[in-house]
Order: sequence, then C-alpha cells, then structure tokens
Amino acid sequence: MTAKKIIFGILLLFFFGAIIGYKIYNKPHVNVAQEKAAISSTASVLLEAFSADETAANLKYLGKIIQVKGVISKIEIVNKKGSISLETEALFGSVLCTLTPEESLSIKELKIGQEILLKGICTGFLMDVVLVKCIIKN
Amino acid sequence: MKIIYTLFLFLFVAFFANGQERFLTKTGTISFFSKSPMENIEAENSQVLSIVDADSGQMAIAILMQSFLFEKALMQEHFNENYVESEIYPKATFKGNIIDFDKISATETPVKIFGVITIHGESQKITIEAIAKKTQVAILMTGDFYINLADFAVDIPSIVRNKIAQKIKVSFRFNHKPYK
Repeated sequence: MTAKKIIFGILLLFFFGAIIGYKIYNKPHVNVAQEKAAISSTASVLLEAFSADETAANLKYLGKIIQVKGVISKIEIVNKKGSISLETEALFGSVLCTLTPEESLSIKELKIGQEILLKGICTGFLMDVVLVKCIIKN
Repeated sequence: MKIIYTLFLFLFVAFFANGQERFLTKTGTISFFSKSPMENIEAENSQVLSIVDADSGQMAIAILMQSFLFEKALMQEHFNENYVESEIYPKATFKGNIIDFDKISATETPVKIFGVITIHGESQKITIEAIAKKTQVAILMTGDFYINLADFAVDIPSIVRNKIAQKIKVSFRFNHKPYK
C-alpha cells in the first residue's frame, strides 16, 4: 500500500515537473501592448541621453519598455515590418522604432510630419536610438 | 569642451557632406541559425546599421544584440543574459574592405570582404563571401557565413550543449541607399 502511494507521489511530481518545465520553455514574450511603460519620454530627450553618455543611458533604458512621443520623419517597410523614424532637435540621429508585424498593418494610415506616441523595447544606440516591438498608442 | 563638440560636429558634417559617395542602411537584416539534433534556433535582427564608402569600398556594420528576436522568449533571454551578455557588450561590429569594389556592377557580382568582426568583446579576422549589386541609387549586399562560438568566448553550459551548434550560420541582407 505504501509502495503504491510512493510511486503515485513520484509520478505526480514528474507530471507537475513536466508541466512546469514545458511552461518555462514556452514562456511567452513580453507583451508590449499590455505592459506598462517603465519610462515615458520624447524622441529628443531620448537621443540626447544616449549621445551625452551612452553607458549611462544603456543602464537606464536598455531592455526597458519606453513610451516615446515624437514627429514622424521617415516611414519604411522592410520584410513586412514597418519602421518609423522620429525627428529630434539634434542635427543627426533620430529614434528608430520598428513595429511588430501586427502593428505594421496600420502603417499606411501614418503620414510624415504627424505627431505620434509609440511604445516599444529599447535595444540601444547606433546612429539612432533603437526600439523594437513597437506598438502605436495613438 | 565646447570646442571639442564643435570640432566633432564639423568632422561629422564633413564626413557626410560628400555624402553621395556613402551608402547606408539602418534597417539591414542579419539572422542566424543554429542547427542541432535536439532543436533548431533562429533569430532575426532587422535594425542593423551598415555603411559602405563607395570611394574606397570600406564597409562598417554595427549590430545591437538585443535587437535579435527569437521565436521563444526563453531562448532570447538566455542569449542576452548568459551567452552574449548584451548588457556588458550591447553591440557587435564589423569593419572591413570590399575587395575589387570597382568591379561590382548592376548585376549580381560575387565579392570577398576582408575585415574584423567583434562579438562579445572578442575580435576575429574574417573573410566573408557575398553577392553584391551596385547602381546609382543602391548597393545591395547579401550572403552568409559561419562563425565559431568558441572564437568569441561564448560559453555554452554542458547541459544545453547538444541543443546549440558550435558553428552558427549567419545570413545578411543590406540594401544601402545614398546618404543624403
């Protein structure tokens, strides 16, 4: 009787272990649309932070969900993924926001010069501050 | 400080002023593929910065590691936190020369690029074979090559070693446009 109980217990443990393992393995991606933004900012402030001190800005922004306001300076579609560049006060550099494939469908409604509010994950600074998985807030 | 800044600005302007000679893309694509008996791992980055100097045939590429998007969130997390340590080394770079750049025509031309690639803080000399196409309004470069994880001090724990290939296939596609 006890042997049966032990075997049953072990089986149960395996079963839950397998479920937990499977859940961790298939952990969903961060849902930018549902998560609250860690930092709200404007395109100019964001670019200024990175061009002034990239290391400090990386610590502050890298991997975080950022909500950014700016004026569209360029719209591009590469591999079905839309990218929006936001104007800044600086001579060079902008904030480059690549949209999620779903959000890219509504890119046709956007116009250059239009003000926009975007939310995405900051991945760093090249010539521009780069955001991935962006969604359009308005 | 102000002088330095102004000087920097002037250099920057000068760098891009004769801009017709420079071709650039901010939305280049790099993807990599790890094939192993256990599972295949794929990731894509479509925000790669690549600049080609049409005078000298020099090429410079900068890649943000966190811009690589994976199918599974867990893989992306392991990639960033454990393998390439993207908080310490947020960028990978390549600097090199396109050999016989002048011979590239408007039809697909095979070329070799010699250069130095830096990933995870480690630099390696590399020769990449690519297909190039050059017109007045675009320089398109595509190709693929293999990198060895051990060359870049990327340490894969033994428990997942049979899930991750030692040689990773890297594919790229850069459609450079004249910089205005």
